[in-house]
Amino acid sequence: MRERNAAWFVRRAVLLVLGLVWLIPVYLLLVNAARPSTSYDQSKIWTPDTHLGLFDNIRQGWDSAGLGSSLASTFLYSIASPGLAVVLGAMAGFAIAVLRVRAGFWWFMLLFGGTVVPTQMLLIPLFLGYSSTDLYDRRGGLVLIYLAVSIPLAAFVMRNFFTGVAYTIFEAARMDGASIWRVFWRVYLPLALSALWAVFILEFAFIWNDLLFGLTLSQTDTVRPVMTALSSLSSAYGGSTIPVVLASGLVMSLPTVLLFLGTQRLFARGLALGQF
Amino acid sequence: MSAPGAPAVAAAGARQAPGATAPGARPGRRRGRGNWTAIGFLSPAALVVALLLYLPFLYTVVLSFTKYDGLSSPQWVALDNFRKFFSDPALGSSVRNTLMWVVGTTVLPVGLGLLIALLSFGIRGGSGFRLPFMLPYALSGAGLGVIWGFILQDGGAANDVLGALHLPGAHTDFLQHWPYNTISMIVAWTWQQTGVNALLFMVGLQSIPKEPLEAARLDGAGGFRLFRSITWPLLAPLTTVVVGLALVASLKTFDIVWVTTQGGPGRSSETLAVTMYRDAFVSGDYGYGSAVALVLTLTTAAVTLAYLRRQVKTREGLG
Repeated sequence: MRERNAAWFVRRAVLLVLGLVWLIPVYLLLVNAARPSTSYDQSKIWTPDTHLGLFDNIRQGWDSAGLGSSLASTFLYSIASPGLAVVLGAMAGFAIAVLRVRAGFWWFMLLFGGTVVPTQMLLIPLFLGYSSTDLYDRRGGLVLIYLAVSIPLAAFVMRNFFTGVAYTIFEAARMDGASIWRVFWRVYLPLALSALWAVFILEFAFIWNDLLFGLTLSQTDTVRPVMTALSSLSSAYGGSTIPVVLASGLVMSLPTVLLFLGTQRLFARGLALGQF
Repeated sequence: MSAPGAPAVAAAGARQAPGATAPGARPGRRRGRGNWTAIGFLSPAALVVALLLYLPFLYTVVLSFTKYDGLSSPQWVALDNFRKFFSDPALGSSVRNTLMWVVGTTVLPVGLGLLIALLSFGIRGGSGFRLPFMLPYALSGAGLGVIWGFILQDGGAANDVLGALHLPGAHTDFLQHWPYNTISMIVAWTWQQTGVNALLFMVGLQSIPKEPLEAARLDGAGGFRLFRSITWPLLAPLTTVVVGLALVASLKTFDIVWVTTQGGPGRSSETLAVTMYRDAFVSGDYGYGSAVALVLTLTTAAVTLAYLRRQVKTREGLG
């Protein structure tokens, strides 16, 4: 046991004080999201109200901004797109690392280069293209673009993961008469399950939190993702009270916060996946 | 969009290049039918990426040399958009704000993240101490804008705190005046990003070999000296990546500004990414918006390359 000297206390004290400062906005968010909308008073934001108005506030946001349908659509986007992306990315990684496609390095660069394309370079053509092909303001259109931006990371991670898998596994499975597709689906994909999960979670959070694609490519309540709905709810023309906006923000942030806290270990692993 | 891709690159950069040798000898490249099978496996991903990322990218480059309102067909105007961009009075404030974001977000969240990682590394209950910093990371840029818009409003929580501490700013309406609007949004961003930087630095600290640390301790080094001469140099590859990521993200700052101030009042808190969005989708000037996007992209690429080259050179100089 190390002795408890001055440094021991200073380290913990600094962390504790900073941590408390960091929690102030969280406290303010919770207290004022839970306050009845009618009793909001700017001079009393620091003290909790004795009446709980949280659920009324959520219901108001639900009604006025169509949060319910937004939530449903956003669940679709952030599950379907990364789900498809990890499978397509794994297929690409398999082709490069295991099947050893010709010019594999260039295929890899083609896919991986997608991570450095800035969103701003996509918005205008996507908006124009979507408008002229009836993809604008459609759920399918948003699934498609979220899929596209999710693929590069999935392909990158899976290619690196499969490179580390012994080639003898492939040979043995082929020797047993399994088709290439079966080897991929039954042998390689299950092997990569934890890496696939980590990528999926990272991309789920990214899509859930996206504002820009939603802002550009959708407009109706039923299609637009939650962050876009929240942004319009909070704008000066939204006409909602502060407790309603805060309560709505709280509900919309809950999925990523819970996911993140529940999978911190896996999440950190996702961050470190490039090490494979 | 680099958000989900970036961390993986981070870790890859921190270690050796991926794809070293794997056990089990491989045969040479596949020929004929085998190669077509491989291409079959590749093509769905490649097709989606080509159609939805590369094609729009190229089209934006083309559009930036045209005048286009989305109705009549685009007209070639050569460099007019760029000329207009560099003589636009709003550009000055937009560039100035973007620079503030770049400096602020590469210094504050990275520095605080490093501090928290160092302080909480190796102490019991370290992850508990880090939790308050990790919580905000799960919030979106829009969620962040909502919370901090509330805190920073005139007579809001920020004014209360400063007043209680007898600090200046108790009566400042932060969001309505430049430069306070940009500075206070950078503070909000710091609140959100510190945790993930601390996490990345923790990964780096854990991968530092114990031997040099022990040897230095035996030699009597401790505290700041130990950090400066052992920990800091060994963390350097990771620091390069963390700062690089902050740099790229800061140049593209959009969400929090859009939700908190919409770039206002006037255009005083606009960043380049907000300017691009406004010109294209509020004013309907797609050619000009494309030109701003292209300038933003080229700037990001140039700054990132310059930064990485400098870092690599410095490290080679050390080695």
